[in-house]
Amino acid sequence: MKFGKRLKRQIEESLPEWRDKFLCYKDLKKLVKLISATQPSSKAEAEFICLLNSEIDKFNAFFVDQEEEFIIRQMELQEWIKRRVAATSAAAEYARIGTEMVNLHGEMVLLVNYSSVNYTGLAKILKKYDKRTGGLLRLPFIEKVLEQPFFTTDLISKLVKECESTMDSMFPAAAAAATAAREEAVMVVEQRVFRNAVAALVTMRELRRGSSTYGHFSLPPLSSPDADLLQSLQLPSPIPIL
Amino acid sequence: MLALRGPHRGTTSSWSTYAGKLAEGTYILVLMIWCGIGDGSPLSLEDCDGCVSRLATGILRRPRSPPKAFAPTSPVAAISPFRTAPPRRKSVNGKKWKEIRNNALVSHLTPFISDGGIVGSLYSSPSGFSSVLNGSSFSLPEGHPPFATQSPRVGVSLHPANPSCTGTIQPITTNFSRQSTEVAWCPDAVDNILDYTDNNTCVGNQMPSNSAMVSDDLSKQNEWWTDIIDEDWKEILNETTAIESQPKVVYSTTQSTPNISVHEPPIHHSIPSNSGEICTVISSSSAATTAAKPRMRWTPELHECFVDAVNQLGGGEKATPKGVLKLMKVEGLTIYHVKSHLQKYRTARYRPDSSEEIFDKKITLKEEIPSLDLKMSFDLTEALRLQMEVQKQLHEQLEIQRNLQLRIEEQGRYLQMMLEKQCKPSIPVATTVEGPLTTASDLMQSTDKVDVPENSHDSANTKEGSKQVGNKEKMPDAELSDRKESDAIGHC
Repeated sequence: MKFGKRLKRQIEESLPEWRDKFLCYKDLKKLVKLISATQPSSKAEAEFICLLNSEIDKFNAFFVDQEEEFIIRQMELQEWIKRRVAATSAAAEYARIGTEMVNLHGEMVLLVNYSSVNYTGLAKILKKYDKRTGGLLRLPFIEKVLEQPFFTTDLISKLVKECESTMDSMFPAAAAAATAAREEAVMVVEQRVFRNAVAALVTMRELRRGSSTYGHFSLPPLSSPDADLLQSLQLPSPIPIL
Repeated sequence: MLALRGPHRGTTSSWSTYAGKLAEGTYILVLMIWCGIGDGSPLSLEDCDGCVSRLATGILRRPRSPPKAFAPTSPVAAISPFRTAPPRRKSVNGKKWKEIRNNALVSHLTPFISDGGIVGSLYSSPSGFSSVLNGSSFSLPEGHPPFATQSPRVGVSLHPANPSCTGTIQPITTNFSRQSTEVAWCPDAVDNILDYTDNNTCVGNQMPSNSAMVSDDLSKQNEWWTDIIDEDWKEILNETTAIESQPKVVYSTTQSTPNISVHEPPIHHSIPSNSGEICTVISSSSAATTAAKPRMRWTPELHECFVDAVNQLGGGEKATPKGVLKLMKVEGLTIYHVKSHLQKYRTARYRPDSSEEIFDKKITLKEEIPSLDLKMSFDLTEALRLQMEVQKQLHEQLEIQRNLQLRIEEQGRYLQMMLEKQCKPSIPVATTVEGPLTTASDLMQSTDKVDVPENSHDSANTKEGSKQVGNKEKMPDAELSDRKESDAIGHC
């Protein structure tokens, strides 16, 4: 399947507020097609570069914004936990905290995924551009991209790890569940974030399976230890997301 | 990308060498234009270097004062101050710099790319750039005056009545086309090498072990990178504080540039308003400060500071943006930042209440499925655990992927550099068999990295190198053993 299609599917599965924040791969591709091979430095090329820049701005703005929110939510959760632990609240409250935490974790991971997907799209479109124009836009441009806020996901990753460790300490791992319980869990699990995460994993795996234009800038296939997990999670056709 | 740079003492001389190859005056003029300095004030090339790299990397959008932004330090340095300490200053004209960056990116890409991507690499590794240029056949032909006429393209015209505006596109294109032919044989060479490696790969069997090795390899490299970076950032932080006075010159002259012509090349009209705004933004200098909406990147530490201030003022509801701003005493923070952050904060605080409804809904759902264990005391439901598991996996994969991408780009840069070196007639073609074993350290050495962590590079590198070599069974060309690794896995 082509990247454009995969990206579209990813976007469909993503959280509603995020859908217009992804890369406009299709538009960029159209611009590249417009660029004629013979007439150098045409209007289309300038438009292309301009669109690229504005896309990157879009990513940065959204990413930094989300990052800020996550920082706030993470800290709030931690405060909440401290308060609850001190007050030894009811189990229900803990469950609520757990839910919040899992969802926050999920959204953060999805943000990292957002960054990755967009980066991949950019790399691909730049490759197309270079192929079309015989130019060397890709390498320097990508270097610039690597330094952009939206690609520097270190803080988010750190927050994710913090979240995971808090979870582990709060809810120590239970005994392995039976498959029946697991299947039911699939039905019950929180839809939005979860579906998105599964879709992201699947997409990633497919994307890296190898393509016709495999080159020295391509990534190797996904080394996913738990392929069965994904298999069992192949959810039926998407429930319309609110 | 992670190649860090120290002070560019070396680059100044290299740049003057390069400048000497062209009409020196015009090149420096271009740099000054680039930095927005129109009055030809004495500015060291070092400043231009830092300035140019800053412009191109978009670090300007970070709330550091432009003087800081112009300091000739690595773009990576901008990240660390935000992680470890609250930002000390803010870009007074955040929007302005953002526009410059946009425009710079646009215009930088076309004229500079025409040099064959090398100048592009200027922004990330100036000294690498200089070493490449010395004697490289990629330098623009002598006597060709490319840049003076290109100045209007930057959108900041020093010659208000420049009639050759429309004509500027042409010189760029000639460079471009000429350059593409010159570069032509190099990518072919790469392809040949890759073909060779492809033929030699034994694909299927190696796949599982390779991918496992890749992940191990990468996690080690990841750690290694983090260690290096942490050390370097501290060093660069120190350097940044030291270079305060010089860049101020840059900033003040930028501001004093009067009446920048609104003269734009026609091609910009079709472009969205980004670059269109740049002229008005620059000319309105300090007036833009209050109206500007600079984007800031919050950190947990900064947020803690915020929360403390808010609590001191009586909580989320009572606290006012002004009061919080005053209490926080963070340089460069504007009331606008605080306002929006406070709003987010308030929303987040009330979220726990709204989640109660969602939670209740879930409880009813679960009650309809009797076989599910409803034990919730200090225990996550199976659903949540499952969700967590998937998320964890996704994150792990993303991290691995990211590291791979970074590494691949680095390899690409390295290859590019080697190819360019080989374009020099004096160097024989088949020199580079050092390969990825010393790739990273090579890159870093050539980009003027700070000296201290270099030892750790080499030792870490050789460790990984031996691991990789052990992996590749019969790979004669060690240089591309990494490539082979990924190629091998890919061709299945």
